[in-house]
Amino acid sequence: MKKGMIKVSDSFERIVHWCMAISCIILMISGLGMMFHSFNFIAIPVGGLKNLKLIHNFTGLVFIPSLLFAILIWWKEAGIFRFPEDLEWIKVAGGYLWHVDKVPETGKYNPGQKAFFWAVAFFGVVMIVTGLIMWFPLGFPVKLVRWMYTLHALGFFVIFSFFFVHLYLGTVGVPGSVSAILTGWVTRSWAEKQCPKWLKEMEESGKLEVSE
Amino acid sequence: MSEKIKLCDLSKCTGCRGCQLACKQWNQLPAKQTVNYGTYQNPPDLQPNTWNVIRFQEISENGAVDWLFRHDACMHCTDAACVKVCPSGALYHTKYGTVALDSAKCIGCKECVFACPFEVPRYDPETDKVIKCDMCYSRIDNAMQPACVKACPTGALRFGDKKEMLQIAYARAKELGGDASVYGDTFVDGTHMIYVLPRKAAVYDRLPEKPRVPFSVIAWKDWLKPLSLLAAGGVVGGAFLHYIIHGPKDTSGGGDQASREGGE
Amino acid sequence: MTNHWIDIQYSDCVLIMGSNAASNHPISFKYVTKAIENGAKLISVDPRFTQTSSKADIYASLRSGTDIAFLGGMINYILENNLIQEKYVKYYTNASFLVNPDFKLPGENEGVFSGLKDATYDKSSWAFQTDLKGVVKKDMTLTDPNCVYQLLKKHYSRYNPDIVSRITGTPKDKLLEVYKEYAKTGAVGKAGTIMYAMGWTQHTVGVQNIRTMSIIQLLLGNMGVAGGGVNALRGESNVQGSTDHALLFHILPGYLKTPSASLPTLAVYNAKNTPTTVEPNSLNWWKNTPKYMASFLRAHYGVSATLEEAYGYLPKLDDGQNYSWLSLFDAMYKEKLTGFFSWGQNPACSGASSNKTRQAITKLDWMVNVNIFDNETGSFWKGPGMDPKKIKTEVFMLPCSASIEKEGSIINSGRWMQWRYKAVDSPGVAMPDGEIISELFYKVRELYEKEGGPLKEAITKMTWDYGPKGVDGTVRHLDVHYIAKEINGYFLEDKEINGTLYKKGSLVPSFAFLQDDGSTSSGNWLYCNSYTEKGNMAARRGKKDESGIGLYPEWAWSWPVNRRIIYNGASVDPETGRPWDTEHPVIIWNGSSWVGDVPDGVAAPGAGRPPFIMKPHGVGSIFGPGLADGPFPEHYEPLECPIEKNILSPQFVNPTIKRWDEEGTGTDVDARATCDPRFPIVCSTYRVSEHWQTGLMTRWCPWLAEMQPSMFVEIGTELAKNKGIKNGEIVTVKSVRGQVDAVAIVTERWKPFTIDGNTIHEIGIPWHYGWVTTKMREYVHGDKKPEVFTFGDSANIVTPFIGDANTMIPESKAFMVNVERKEG
Ligand code: HEM
Ligand code: SF4
Ligand code: SF4
Ligand code: SF4
Repeated sequence: MKKGMIKVSDSFERIVHWCMAISCIILMISGLGMMFHSFNFIAIPVGGLKNLKLIHNFTGLVFIPSLLFAILIWWKEAGIFRFPEDLEWIKVAGGYLWHVDKVPETGKYNPGQKAFFWAVAFFGVVMIVTGLIMWFPLGFPVKLVRWMYTLHALGFFVIFSFFFVHLYLGTVGVPGSVSAILTGWVTRSWAEKQCPKWLKEMEESGKLEVSE
Repeated sequence: MSEKIKLCDLSKCTGCRGCQLACKQWNQLPAKQTVNYGTYQNPPDLQPNTWNVIRFQEISENGAVDWLFRHDACMHCTDAACVKVCPSGALYHTKYGTVALDSAKCIGCKECVFACPFEVPRYDPETDKVIKCDMCYSRIDNAMQPACVKACPTGALRFGDKKEMLQIAYARAKELGGDASVYGDTFVDGTHMIYVLPRKAAVYDRLPEKPRVPFSVIAWKDWLKPLSLLAAGGVVGGAFLHYIIHGPKDTSGGGDQASREGGE
Repeated sequence: MTNHWIDIQYSDCVLIMGSNAASNHPISFKYVTKAIENGAKLISVDPRFTQTSSKADIYASLRSGTDIAFLGGMINYILENNLIQEKYVKYYTNASFLVNPDFKLPGENEGVFSGLKDATYDKSSWAFQTDLKGVVKKDMTLTDPNCVYQLLKKHYSRYNPDIVSRITGTPKDKLLEVYKEYAKTGAVGKAGTIMYAMGWTQHTVGVQNIRTMSIIQLLLGNMGVAGGGVNALRGESNVQGSTDHALLFHILPGYLKTPSASLPTLAVYNAKNTPTTVEPNSLNWWKNTPKYMASFLRAHYGVSATLEEAYGYLPKLDDGQNYSWLSLFDAMYKEKLTGFFSWGQNPACSGASSNKTRQAITKLDWMVNVNIFDNETGSFWKGPGMDPKKIKTEVFMLPCSASIEKEGSIINSGRWMQWRYKAVDSPGVAMPDGEIISELFYKVRELYEKEGGPLKEAITKMTWDYGPKGVDGTVRHLDVHYIAKEINGYFLEDKEINGTLYKKGSLVPSFAFLQDDGSTSSGNWLYCNSYTEKGNMAARRGKKDESGIGLYPEWAWSWPVNRRIIYNGASVDPETGRPWDTEHPVIIWNGSSWVGDVPDGVAAPGAGRPPFIMKPHGVGSIFGPGLADGPFPEHYEPLECPIEKNILSPQFVNPTIKRWDEEGTGTDVDARATCDPRFPIVCSTYRVSEHWQTGLMTRWCPWLAEMQPSMFVEIGTELAKNKGIKNGEIVTVKSVRGQVDAVAIVTERWKPFTIDGNTIHEIGIPWHYGWVTTKMREYVHGDKKPEVFTFGDSANIVTPFIGDANTMIPESKAFMVNVERKEG
């Protein structure tokens, strides 16, 4: 490994992330196949919609613990907004949309990422609760079950769109990010740009891991 | 092909249950053990093996009693919530306007069970599929009447072209007078089973007064479905625009080797 | 039925009483519904608000067993308000006949008619007055105090609405509403019909219930017209046929009387049973009795015996003996019978007082159970309370074919003989009943030939030409066409009638050709015309109907002589021949003959022939001296009833019924509990759409058992509250004779009655259940288990052992019980 790389995630975090991500992707793709008759073809390779549904449901079972661990892991750093710096950041949209001379410094995660966390956490839970009820609906009141489908679709709407934002920013939108969740190591400059405050704090407390 | 309607004139129904039995016979639905729980009605409700059931209901007003019998089965809606939600296309509209069901396609997701405003489809755990009255598609497509209609001795059940059946229904409701009305012609864009109700709809057990496709289903299917694609499309498009207009974020710079390489 | 199912739609007012037709004759409602659509009014009179009531314009309740009071009140209403169809009554009924001045009505004779002695009537005072030539004296003004009309008026003047309401519990305004509506059919051209079933017959006054309505129909001119008549809804698909063919002990096929020991020769028999009349224009059809009897004897014994010899072979009744169901089972119970064929029936559940019936079977040496399923009778020794070790009866089960497994005819309520074909083979070793009888016959004959026996010729000389025969002279396989032809009858020798020669061996065209000299045969004269040289009439399926009133004369065949509405001679004006109802004429005079239905009894218009030709005098009997219990119906309480005395008279129950409950007449199983505080509730039995009779055939059918899985008892809300009974819980219905468990259906449809100021409750139970198909019983290897179990045993466990005075049909529609929550 190159020298001077900074460690931003440990292996547990990365496993959780990928469990969640992959299950989520499978859920989205399989969900899409069930949602639109024009996407029913997605079921062809797995031998029919019935299987697709089963894949969706059981992938859901993988998604549930991943999401729960993810929430536990990132709760502190991504779940809590800090003022006023986060507000400042939001005012300039993190410098993503127009040119900003000085982007307010953020912690490990900027408010955009925090928002994504919230979307995933909240709607992930919604997906879990509604999904489980939808899987085993008999016995629940009709009116309740009816809304479960709607909420599940709402959750999908939110997660699906955020997913693309996340994908863009995690790859080409913010070069160098992928490695953060692939290897756990990022460049100092990436860290300085993405999470300057966190970097400072870590350095001050001497906890920062830097590759030798 | 013209639309067909099963007309159910409750003023003529005697609760003989010929229809309930004929359905089982034609569709080879097995009997299940039942118990008498204090009524003639049995099985107690629609079931996977019971696609139409006569609901027996006693009402009492000012000392006068009446005994109502209602042939309850799928209404075959034009704007059918069940078809709307069915992910597999198992539920579909036939050329007669009726709603049939291709069991082979059913994945047992039960979405229709909860969408139907009349609570008609039933889930069968044994086959892991949902089942309901298909208006005897195998019969009507061979120019026969549905089995229940064929069996009905009183003429309470009739089957025919939509226009003719509606005419008969309106004429009959008028003839009966009082609270009599036609039920099914106005909502969910018109059903293909319609009732002539001698009494107000609200009187009848388990008969929704103003049935409609549930709002949740509309929000889900008519709004969120297209919206989710639109949104995803928007995001993807936005990202692309962002990339070419704004460009990616510059995460390079700094003095270390890794940062430099990463940024190049 | 005097009319037929399709005809109901032409009625202006349909009265359904003693029947829940909507449920138990569902197809009848095809036509009732049409009648309503055509503007008819439907009246339902029933103790309980039924499916039929739910479709009725007027519903009136009445306490079970008070129909004569109810209908007597209607007669009173009709007469008081002069609503009769006058010309009809004058010309077509015996209203104008003068009765013996010694005749006394119950109102002036302690509640009974004159002549009662030892529970039977000496009917001499009931006779008509005649002139020197023997012609009945008449008063066409209907004013003579001894004329039938005035007697009728006097008799039913006691049945005023207040009294009737006190007896029946029907609110007075309801009574009047029903009377008013039904009496409207007395208008010329209007027709009212009555549909009744076991709710009328199963009473100690069963026949008189129907008589009361017959009187009403005559008064209103409703007999013989389209949409009218007296219509018995038969409870079994072929009960009409089996009755026509001598189901009952006192009649031979075609309603010929069974010979009795006191009529030793055919000549004596004919003299006794052939009515005569000197009424100038009366046809008196039964004058042909000797022809029908001779032809019947020929059908039995062919020409191998003379008619007198053949008559000698027929079994004879002992005078005064009754061989009806109740008597037979009583004899069995008293060990006077050793063997029993239980053929296509289930006495252990169908017989009144089932505990007695079940006990009776244990006293037999042998029993043969011929049936399509195992039943409570065949397996009685395994039943509740039985100890097989102590039972000596040897039981043989002969499985037989179901109706769809054999060819033949059935006769529906409307008297249509309809041919049916075999659809599937019988399962296993099951055989059609006819084949079983045939094999039995050959075996019995062989034994008689070998061993002899009293009157062995009765068997050995019997013809048995029911199919092609093998070399040994026996029938290989029964051919039902041979039987149907024998029923119709053959010419046994060449015969010239009215210039036409009928060849020996050809089929007789109709009963008008039957002879008393032995030259013709006919197994049942009423069916002569059903299978002729033109073919099997019953198999016809022609849909032509030129009548405009749904006669469909080319569909199947109807007795007699394909007549669809009997007594139709009364549907026209006696003087002009014009149909009363010109919209729905049954027969029309075209100048030279009648067209439409096969005319019944009428001669040319104005010829003065009275149309009720089966009656010696040719008119309908408003006064009916033929019955055992009176020429007019009189209200008597059921044997078991909730009130202490008959409100109408000092005579409590029908004085002429055969009693088993009195000292020295019966045993403890025949107990009766009237006005007994232990059994304060009136009970009735009935059927449901889903089951048939004892449920023997339907309980085994899973779809039917699924819909009605259980013995139930319908209890009014008020009574249930008093008793602390909740809907759906199991209760016990008890009578003095036994008890049966049932699921309580607590219902608003059963309201308490106010009888003479007291509140009386009534409940009802279906009689379709039996222990064989229950879950609780023991099933051993080989026992068939039903797919859907039923719950509960027979309703007849609680019914009384008492019959109608004329027919001995048991009184299972009105008796006393109690109902309690099931203990433990
Ligand atoms: C990121 C998480 C998830 C996404 C994106 C997702 C997406 C979807 C989509 C798009 C649909 C189709 C909805 C429609 O037809 O409108 C669907 C249906 C469904 N989902 Fe999910 N889902 C997720 C999580 C879950 C979870 C955790 C479960 C439960 C274990 C679950 C169970 C279901 C069920 C039962 C259905 C109903 C469809 C059927 O059974 O055929 N989903 N999901
Ligand atoms: S009644 Fe229910 S199951 Fe039938 S078509 Fe309408 S929505 Fe579908
Ligand atoms: S139309 Fe056919 S499937 Fe539907 S209830 Fe009637 S018999 Fe049953
Ligand atoms: S068959 Fe006709 S009359 Fe009988 S219960 Fe069904 S709808 Fe009613």
